[in-house]
Amino acid sequence: MKYILYALSLLFLFTSCQPEDKYLYEVNEVDVLPVNANKSKQKTIEQFVSILHANLFQKALSADEMVEIRKVIESIGDKELAYEILISNFMNKPGVIIPPDEDMRADIDEFLVDTYKRFFVRFPTEAEKAYMRNFIEADPNVTAELVYFSFALSNEYQFY
Amino acid sequence: MKRRKFIKTTAAAAAATIGMPYILPTGRLFARTNSRLAEHVVFVLFAGGVRQQEAVGMQYLDGSQNERIPGNIMYNMLTGAPPTDKIVYGTDANLAGEIPIPKILNTTLQEQGTLFKEMRATQIGHYGGLNVALQGNTLYSQGLKQKPLNPTIFEYLRRHGGIPASKVWFVGNGIGNSVPLLNHSLHEDYGRLYAANFIAPSVTFSSIGFKHLANAKVYHPEHELDPVYKMKYFLDNNFKNAAQTIGGIGNTFEEKQDIKKFIEATFEKTANNIQIRPPVSGGGDLETIGYACEVLEWFKPTFLTVNLNNVDGCHSNFTGYLRALHRADHGVGFLWDFIQKDPVLKDNTIMIVMPECGRNLNPNPILDHNDWYGYDHSDANARRIFGMMVGPNVPSNSVIGSETNPKGHSVDIALTVADILGLKDTVANVGLVAGNSRSLFDRI
Repeated sequence: MKYILYALSLLFLFTSCQPEDKYLYEVNEVDVLPVNANKSKQKTIEQFVSILHANLFQKALSADEMVEIRKVIESIGDKELAYEILISNFMNKPGVIIPPDEDMRADIDEFLVDTYKRFFVRFPTEAEKAYMRNFIEADPNVTAELVYFSFALSNEYQFY
Repeated sequence: MKRRKFIKTTAAAAAATIGMPYILPTGRLFARTNSRLAEHVVFVLFAGGVRQQEAVGMQYLDGSQNERIPGNIMYNMLTGAPPTDKIVYGTDANLAGEIPIPKILNTTLQEQGTLFKEMRATQIGHYGGLNVALQGNTLYSQGLKQKPLNPTIFEYLRRHGGIPASKVWFVGNGIGNSVPLLNHSLHEDYGRLYAANFIAPSVTFSSIGFKHLANAKVYHPEHELDPVYKMKYFLDNNFKNAAQTIGGIGNTFEEKQDIKKFIEATFEKTANNIQIRPPVSGGGDLETIGYACEVLEWFKPTFLTVNLNNVDGCHSNFTGYLRALHRADHGVGFLWDFIQKDPVLKDNTIMIVMPECGRNLNPNPILDHNDWYGYDHSDANARRIFGMMVGPNVPSNSVIGSETNPKGHSVDIALTVADILGLKDTVANVGLVAGNSRSLFDRI
């Protein structure tokens, strides 16, 4: 009996640890990066202004006007402030194409997807969508124009 | 128990006292190293390349065109009799420039302050010269079309003096020659967040400025701009790329609104042609000085630099150079008079004036309409410059240095400004100003 128990113990000891099976799915390992991580080149003033104009008016800016705007932006040291004034001027011009607020509030998710695509040339993540949706829903003063304004002022919009 | 509480409270207070300087957003670590000599400093970059012979030399045509007609055409700044013949530098009447512009100051700045009659410019190019003055460093590796490599005096003041962005201004003569790049360096410990507010009024308030900036939509700061900034903050948090050349320069929300109001008000004044300007104006440097006065009036800056450049026409037009030099003197006289009429700035502002470089001893072959030769800036004579200080704690009627005994360098300005505002040792101890630079007060 004693020997049988020893034999069984040895048997369990050698059979208890099995080598782990390795599965190979033939998929390369990748680092997970933010969706906007590939944007590493800063836009020039000309690129920024012409893209901004196209986004807001959906038509190209003339070459003359682009040069003029570059000059006035260069003439102010705080670029964030300069762009803010420029965007405020654009918003005051006829021809700005912005969705009506009712449409935005009727389907905020669709508005956000369109806005991210228009300004950032990408889809929003679920987290971004959730935050922005909650923000818009929580504040009745937030209009589509103000959302556009914040996107135009953002750092991501300065890069491509 | 009480004793334990006492020790705990004392330890917390001591830790806070020690830790506090390191967490100040201004980067200020220590108290000022010397007392302030004035609460405001105005630095006139009397730039464009001023030939010593026509400036403190008071030689007029005698030192340049083989015409025996000496005289002082900078009689707001310098003490000396004006030329008596061949007057071309004034305003036009029957003959171009024949009426000298009347003096603005009853007492010259030379008599009111200290004249450094013979200084040396470290660089004899415009951008290099401006960089030397603002960085306090010779920095021969500094490239054109490149932001300053070492911190500028703007950044030193903002970081170590805790001076708000809207109290530090750089008013440029334009946007050419890389001038807009000078409001901050690319130095990793300083940079954009410690920059000066730059403005080039000749562009901002020009016709294209009116076209693209003057018709800004007004947003409610609380109900509209606040959510805009909150959304922007969220978007920026989701984007980790950044660069020294984007974004704000550290103006607070309130400062930004104030600057926007200033720009709006100045557009309105310009539209009605009632902006501040010297009695004789007509564009260029004098308009720039007028707008610098607008900035002084609105913001009462701790430090303002205004850059001139019209005298650089001397390359091809000596007559135009004389006119520009005479007008630059008129502008500086007007600026000092304006400061003395402002209740906040009066008696509490030190003004420094210095060209960034001089001009050559010998002319180039280009003749103007008076058959006078032009002058470039490339030889040893172009290193000859002057400097001037006026205001509280500046010795009056004092002349320092001579042609054979130069005193002071263009590299001294940064430390001089720091000295006036109580930060001389702090700035020097950073170790990025030239080893031979001194405060001009230490040269007296």
